[in-house]
Amino acid sequence: MNKPSFRTFAAALAVLAAAGGSLAVAASPADTIALRQANFKKMGGAMKVIKDELAGSANKAKMAGAAKTIAAMARAQGPLFPNGTGPSAGKTDALPAIWSQRPTFDGHAKKLIAEADKLVAVAGSGNAAAVGVQFKAVGGTCSGCHKQFRADD
Amino acid sequence: MTEKVRVWDVPVRLFHWSLLGLFAFSWWSGENHEMEWHRQSGLLILALLLFRLFWGLAGSRTARFAHFLKGPRTVLAYARKAADEHATDGHNPLGGWSVAALLAVLLTLVVAGLFSVDVDGLESGPLADYISFDGGRTAAEIHEVAFNVALGLIGLHVCAIGFYQFLVGRDLVSPMITGRREREQGETLDDVRWSPVRALIGLVVILALVWAVSKGFHFNSAGDV
Repeated sequence: MNKPSFRTFAAALAVLAAAGGSLAVAASPADTIALRQANFKKMGGAMKVIKDELAGSANKAKMAGAAKTIAAMARAQGPLFPNGTGPSAGKTDALPAIWSQRPTFDGHAKKLIAEADKLVAVAGSGNAAAVGVQFKAVGGTCSGCHKQFRADD
Repeated sequence: MTEKVRVWDVPVRLFHWSLLGLFAFSWWSGENHEMEWHRQSGLLILALLLFRLFWGLAGSRTARFAHFLKGPRTVLAYARKAADEHATDGHNPLGGWSVAALLAVLLTLVVAGLFSVDVDGLESGPLADYISFDGGRTAAEIHEVAFNVALGLIGLHVCAIGFYQFLVGRDLVSPMITGRREREQGETLDDVRWSPVRALIGLVVILALVWAVSKGFHFNSAGDV
């Protein structure tokens, strides 16, 4: 009796650990929407940190930390747009076009990851001018996608 | 004695019409995400409002707060029979408070704008780096509420002008353009007088201050974004 129950427990742990990497799969649409909104908010906050640093003392550690947050969030967001998490599922500015033009949307998501990784690289160099240029590139990726796939408030 | 009397000085009139133009432009640029234009326009509005506050203390007779902000009894008495009242020397007792309310709301609007951050952290007012992202989002919400209140007050302002124009038969628009209105029978008002030197001094100080605000008080920033 001991052994199987231990095995069941271990299996449950493994499933939980796996689910940790892709929470969206198991979560309700409302939870998924809430999670991706929280992630976008973290990205917005991190963008502000970089912008503030560029306006002030250009602290290398702060900029690098914020860039890493953006890159991590960019990776986390892709799986958080499963079918059934559009405007019909709850309060979200995500437009139905995300699901009808999925390849385009995924292209934006991929581009964001690439640009965010570049931002991490230049933020580590501490070169404020280069960070400024890459900040704009990341920002352009954000707004490029938002223009097409986010409701305008 | 001429039959026309000058009731609005040049700075008051310039202030009024520039404010109207810039408010419209700010509205348009905000709606169309032309944020660089929106910031510039907002800073100019800030300069205008600060100048109007200064002019409320240093301007001509009808520009001064002490001249047009009346106590509640006077305001009520005027409101009861506004249509029968004679033309006032400048703002009437009710309109004076309308001006004060507009100034207060527009100041709230532009100051909130200085601290506002957009949801993506991409666009922000020049002072947003002094507060957190959440603080900046709250400022953006205040900015929006103040804008709607301002629209309401402007609507009220236009209705009041329509009331005088069509129901009382008094033209309030032309005097705000030319500075002059018909002198009423037996009215012994002097033309308003103002000091260009004083206006210039105020303008220079205010423009310097607004320039510093536009830089976020950072005069040697690391990068330009």
